[in-house]
Amino acid sequence: MPTFAHPALLWGLALLSLPVLIHLINLVRQRHVPWAAMEFLLVSQRKNSSWIRFRELLLLALRMAAVAGVVLALAQPLLNHEIGFRFGRQKTHLIVLLDDSFSMSDRQSDTSAWDRGKQAIQQIGEDAALRSSPHSFTLLRYSRARGALGSRPDLLEESIDSGFGSRLGKLLGETPVSQLAVGPRPALEAAEKLLDSSAGDSVTLYLVTDFRTRDWDEPAELVRLLERLNQRNVRLQLIACAETRHANLAVAALQPDFGTRAAAVPVPMEIRVNNFSDEPARDVTIALEEDGVARAPVRFDEIPAGASQSQKFASYFATAGQHVVSARLVGDAVALDNARWHVLDLPLKVPALIIDGNAESREARFLATLFAPGGAVKTGIDPSIEPPSFLNDHPLDGYRSIYLLNVGRLDHVAVDALEKYVHAGGGLGIFMGDRPQVDFYNKQLYRNGQGFFPLPLAGATRLLVDRLDKAPDLEVTDHPVFKVFLLNGMKALDTVTVERFFAAMPGWKPARDSQTQIIARLRNGSPLAVEKIFGAGRVLAVMTTAGPVWNNWARDPSFVVAMLQMQAYLATRPGSGHDRVVGTPIEFKLDPARYERQMKLLPPEADPLGPRTLQATSGPQEMTVTIDEPDASGIYELQLTRMGSGVELRRWAVNVDADEGDLALLGSRELAERLEPVKYEYWQAGHFSGNRQELAGTDLTDWVLYLLIAILIGEQALAYVASYHPPAAERQGR
Amino acid sequence: MPDSRRFLHPEAIKRIARLDLRARYVVEGFLSGVHRSPYFGQSVEFLQHREYTRGDDLRRIDWKVWAKQDRYYLKQYEEDTNLRATLLVDVSASMRYGAGPLNKFEYGATVACSLAYLLLRQQDAVGCVSFDSAARVSVPQRSQRHHLEAIIQALEVSAPENKTDLGRILRHVAESYPRRGLLVLVSDLLVNRPELFKGLAMLRQRGFDIMLFHILDDDELDFPFSGATRFDGLEVPERLTCNPRALREGYLEALNKYLEEIRHGCARRAIDYAMLRTSQPLDAPLAAFVSSRQRGSRSTSK
Repeated sequence: MPTFAHPALLWGLALLSLPVLIHLINLVRQRHVPWAAMEFLLVSQRKNSSWIRFRELLLLALRMAAVAGVVLALAQPLLNHEIGFRFGRQKTHLIVLLDDSFSMSDRQSDTSAWDRGKQAIQQIGEDAALRSSPHSFTLLRYSRARGALGSRPDLLEESIDSGFGSRLGKLLGETPVSQLAVGPRPALEAAEKLLDSSAGDSVTLYLVTDFRTRDWDEPAELVRLLERLNQRNVRLQLIACAETRHANLAVAALQPDFGTRAAAVPVPMEIRVNNFSDEPARDVTIALEEDGVARAPVRFDEIPAGASQSQKFASYFATAGQHVVSARLVGDAVALDNARWHVLDLPLKVPALIIDGNAESREARFLATLFAPGGAVKTGIDPSIEPPSFLNDHPLDGYRSIYLLNVGRLDHVAVDALEKYVHAGGGLGIFMGDRPQVDFYNKQLYRNGQGFFPLPLAGATRLLVDRLDKAPDLEVTDHPVFKVFLLNGMKALDTVTVERFFAAMPGWKPARDSQTQIIARLRNGSPLAVEKIFGAGRVLAVMTTAGPVWNNWARDPSFVVAMLQMQAYLATRPGSGHDRVVGTPIEFKLDPARYERQMKLLPPEADPLGPRTLQATSGPQEMTVTIDEPDASGIYELQLTRMGSGVELRRWAVNVDADEGDLALLGSRELAERLEPVKYEYWQAGHFSGNRQELAGTDLTDWVLYLLIAILIGEQALAYVASYHPPAAERQGR
Repeated sequence: MPDSRRFLHPEAIKRIARLDLRARYVVEGFLSGVHRSPYFGQSVEFLQHREYTRGDDLRRIDWKVWAKQDRYYLKQYEEDTNLRATLLVDVSASMRYGAGPLNKFEYGATVACSLAYLLLRQQDAVGCVSFDSAARVSVPQRSQRHHLEAIIQALEVSAPENKTDLGRILRHVAESYPRRGLLVLVSDLLVNRPELFKGLAMLRQRGFDIMLFHILDDDELDFPFSGATRFDGLEVPERLTCNPRALREGYLEALNKYLEEIRHGCARRAIDYAMLRTSQPLDAPLAAFVSSRQRGSRSTSK
């Protein structure tokens, strides 16, 4: 039995009564003629009545057939591949991969790429429901194809029946676009796995996505995946949901800038906005809030097309603890990337430990005074001076930075403790002097590059004075510590002189791809300041003294600036200012002795799972808490219950991947070039109708049209024969 | 001739309301077109002198001859000797049909009046009988000019209705007009043919000259109808709802057969037959009449 692509149009068959109705109306409207020559008329009627009746009935039948033909052609009859199904009972499996990354929320007027995609899927489902042959339907969103849990399709091989269309419509209606930035690869890989369970089925795979350029920038792996699908006889249908590229601004970053982060000290912040469009954006205002209280907004006069611009501002919080800074710009095509959050974890003071090898601690006091001058000046730094033996038996975790000043040698215990400290993310500053023992430093701290000390030492030496050479003693790079001296051609370091320093082992150079870099040199090219990234921490070794012993720098105002910068740099854990991205699990450890195992999570409003209780997994030493699916941008707040009493709050800012806001589209031609040699069909979601024929069988519309033409020709011929056509001469005469 | 004929079209005649004016208009128009005709005045031309015998009308004595010869001679004209005409006009219901400017009855009445006018102008005696199933109004034969009014009145009062019974009328005429003469029958002849021909044959036997004007409407001859139509018989009770286009061929076939039968029947009985379309100019019947009279006089003189 044929089915129809638009069965609702079959109601049009009621129009079959139209010729009869017209006939009846004509009867009502018929002309009355009082007629004299009835005799001849009656003769003619008697003679022709049966033939006329036959001809008229034939004409009526032809006209009704013509009406039926038009209605059927519009309803598009489809002949099922019944025979094929009867013999093979081959099932058709429709796998729909729906891109729900947030670029799909790209909205213009009252519709979005997401809506168009859902409409296309609805159509696929409804078309399939028209079929009497067995069909199954799998719907997998990109966001549910990723992660450790494996793919979790919304519908998995659901068999399609007559009520499937409405079920699918309801499901799609309840499905919002995610806040994730996921490419097609995880979904395609998941689809490939699904094929194993569909062996022997005819499979059509629909990729319903917006084809943003960034998702297909590295197509090699995708091409391999799609080719594998081709080889498994999967019919690929790519459905593009976005029609045109819209302008979009995204708050790409909101993070603390380089500087001391402590309570009652202005915390330097940086905000960056990306302009993903072909036109420059002007007068962009970003509203800012600190702990929910609005503060002066940031304004960008112009962000050039396709560019990113940043501005700095300072946030001030009088109290220690976790504070939320948020930024929001006014609405555009994609709303999700218009807001950004950051949680600042501000201590009351940033503790810094200064170890001085000299018992008099002159240099240490010098540095401590510099860090905490007292009086009205607030730096947020809390320095403490200790002898080297302090390292042996005190925990170092509480210090944000540790300075070794003129330390000759250390015990193994102290070296191990320092190594652990730096490895775990601590910052270590090392200054030289007359005490350091080259052998100890090279063998224990440098250890052929395995230790945390960044360079092998040759020994203390004097920087020769060259009266003819007017070059300054210090040459700095644009490392964050010294960057400030390079701004605006400042010559602040020109008056600094270094008399003695520790030279590096002759011929030593940091390996090109190592974690070590020279950030300042002396006039003779010897390294003066060398940085090494060690584990998660940083070590900065300065080859001269911290006090005005081997140099005059410590008396120069630039030293204050350089040391505060160095302190800020060392106290900042690498990566601590980075955003957490939506979808990336948040994991952290807790002390089981201090906190209850159960805790309450208050996610942002848009989080699909809502407020929930978490259970920490306990190990022997510590409990691990994991927030698996932070799937909404905003602040995730965890309420920890302390053993005994009291509640402690922990907050995390989770932000969207701003790059997903790049709405650049891949045209069908570019896509074809990138996907060569994959075989696929490409549709715009708005014009998608391509699978109907494939789904439902052979389209009989053409045949119906041919039949209709034949009927119409027959009708015209019969109508001509049955009607009166006066000769041309007679017509002219009358 | 074409100029004067322009005014004899039914459209032009239709504008003239009064029948007498119509007749006058038609005849004068016709005569102005045929004034060179050799037949003009033929019947009122001087034929011969005849010696007076008792009982002759004293008014016809040619006093000029008496003055010369002192003998009474009568001046004898041809019309006096021959023409007594009777107009038989069909006023049955079927004559009511007409899609053009004039229906069959109006056209027939105009033709009859025009003939009456023409004849009276020549001082022939004209009588008139209007009929349907029976004679409705009979006007005796007179030759006075004002007799036209009586004829017109007879036609004007005769609104068409009832069924035609021509056989009966022809018998009536045969009985009512013992003196033979000219009989002009104006009808659509939608009657029983055997009876028609029987009546006509009887009249011919009694010596009547018969001139038959067969009046049919264009629609009846061409049957141009289309679209669903219900035909209601004017003289018969039948009704027929049909698609006229489908029946046209059969209709025309039957009509032609009928016309052939009429023509053939008239020819066999030496009846002058002229078929008139109601769309034809009105000089046509007059020309047909004059032409027929000429043939009649020639055959008589022979």
